[in-house]
Amino acid sequence: MALLYGLLWRLLLALLRIKRALMSWLRGRLRNRGGSLWERMVAALLLPAALPTDSQKKLEQSSVSGSRADTGSRRAQWLADGKALEKLPVHVGLMVAEEEPSFTDIANLVVWCMAVGVSYVSVYDHHGIFQKNNSRLQEEIMRQQQNLLGLDGSKYNVEVLSNGGDEHQHCVVSCRPTVKVLSPEDGKHSIVQAARKLCHAVENKERSSRDINVSMLDVMLRESKNIPDPELVVKFGPVNSTLGFLPWHIRLTEFVSVPSHRNVLYEDLYGALQRYGVCQQRLGQ
Amino acid sequence: MSWIREGELNLLEKIASNVLKAGPMPKHVAFIMDGNRRFAQTLRWCKQLSIPEVTVYAFSIENFKRTKEEVDGLLDLARQKFERLLEERENLEKHGVCIRVLGDLNMLPLDLQQLIAKAVLTTRTNNKCFLNVCFAYTSRYEITNAVREMAWGVEQGLIKASDVSEALLSECLYSNNSPNPDLLIRTSGEVRLSDFLLWQTSHSCLVFQSVLWPEYTFWNLCEAILQYQLNHKSIQKARELHREEQALQQLEADRACVADLLQHQGNGKPADAKRRQEALHLCTVSREARVQDFLQALKQKRNHFFSDLYGEAVSA
Repeated sequence: MALLYGLLWRLLLALLRIKRALMSWLRGRLRNRGGSLWERMVAALLLPAALPTDSQKKLEQSSVSGSRADTGSRRAQWLADGKALEKLPVHVGLMVAEEEPSFTDIANLVVWCMAVGVSYVSVYDHHGIFQKNNSRLQEEIMRQQQNLLGLDGSKYNVEVLSNGGDEHQHCVVSCRPTVKVLSPEDGKHSIVQAARKLCHAVENKERSSRDINVSMLDVMLRESKNIPDPELVVKFGPVNSTLGFLPWHIRLTEFVSVPSHRNVLYEDLYGALQRYGVCQQRLGQ
Repeated sequence: MSWIREGELNLLEKIASNVLKAGPMPKHVAFIMDGNRRFAQTLRWCKQLSIPEVTVYAFSIENFKRTKEEVDGLLDLARQKFERLLEERENLEKHGVCIRVLGDLNMLPLDLQQLIAKAVLTTRTNNKCFLNVCFAYTSRYEITNAVREMAWGVEQGLIKASDVSEALLSECLYSNNSPNPDLLIRTSGEVRLSDFLLWQTSHSCLVFQSVLWPEYTFWNLCEAILQYQLNHKSIQKARELHREEQALQQLEADRACVADLLQHQGNGKPADAKRRQEALHLCTVSREARVQDFLQALKQKRNHFFSDLYGEAVSA
């Protein structure tokens, strides 16, 4: 009997995985070539929300890099898109829960976030790959900035910060979006370091344990890395977990999932921003 | 109002349950429910699915910001629930249900604290399944409290500041008697954690379901467990990776201790590998001993908190 249940379970999981793979494949097909009639029918059954509408097709075209003359109008369009949202997050976290991240796609996402008006973008993966290849990511972001926003894109003057704290010199400009590269070290490990510091102070009789409260710990955590709490985290990949992303900072963060970051489109990001725009936080009510 | 409900699964539910149990099952499930009613039924389903531990978010510290009438209403409801628990004591014992209450309980009115202490002490010896109720709780307060406890340990001379580690912090949380939740379920379509178990769920499977809590069915629970099973391998891998990182960090901390030790003991000559190894062993063993003593003291402190309250309640 146990054998039968075991087989049924394996079958069930296999079916679910096939469904997931099919949906992913269909999504790809519908994007690239509109898909054949049969594909569109199956998609309508499995993914009612995925069929691109006319306005989405327009958005799709606007995200593909084109001539320089286009970049100005694209930038204006993206800025307008940002203003059209009910609310725009100040800090968006891009969490990649997939193996072998694609630097180009992440760079695109970062640039789109900034173009839409987000001031703070963080990039995270639980292997710490982005952090280890910080300079490569920065180069890619610069490249995509040029591609998508044109030469004026340098006006944005992206500040890419990482754990090592070797911040790059930049000139002060009025609008200065910041990109932060995060890894699991910025999560629990940072909290432990702050705790150790406080305990050292207590050891040296500079403080009493009774002084320790939430705002003190909060201030300490922001001392080394002043990261505002992300209002929105966009999670890319099939794994349903935060995988160690900034536990302290995500207490009120909205989580929106996007199936994959590979060949991600502007409309995927904008869709996530729209979902954030309509959510209501009751804060204890 | 009841804490536990009798009843059996029907045939279809039994079959589904057996199919699910053929795969990896979560040992601890946490719930953020919109609404507090009908929880007894979900607890029964978890028991029938052989899920031994459940944690629920009953009252957040943020809820204190509501109007006085609302807060008083909620606290009255809590009083009724805990009084009901004491009435059902024998039934809970029969099912082996152990109730724990996690939170900054000293924020609550004294009579409610005493009631909670009674409930916790009454069911303490039950050990078949565990229900953790988060009351006057937020994760940030919990983490801060854990840091405060470690600082207290340093003040008492039980541990050194250098003993502070991720593992030690975890042992100082209110939830230290439980393994981390494998699965966190939130109903009503909200997609945030609302300051609930942020530390403990860093590598848990998060399932956000749009169904409203009053309409939650056995099948919704099965759906969530399926999600857990689909994510199981990748999350296990991530957990392993994190554990390895933790072990490396602990080793680094111990090596720093060794460097210190050798410097003090040394006579200027560089230590050979054997001495280094011995010193490392010594540092590790003495750290572990300190930590054990500290955790014992912390456990006693917490037990005293409840027994003192209970003593006051009985003598009152």
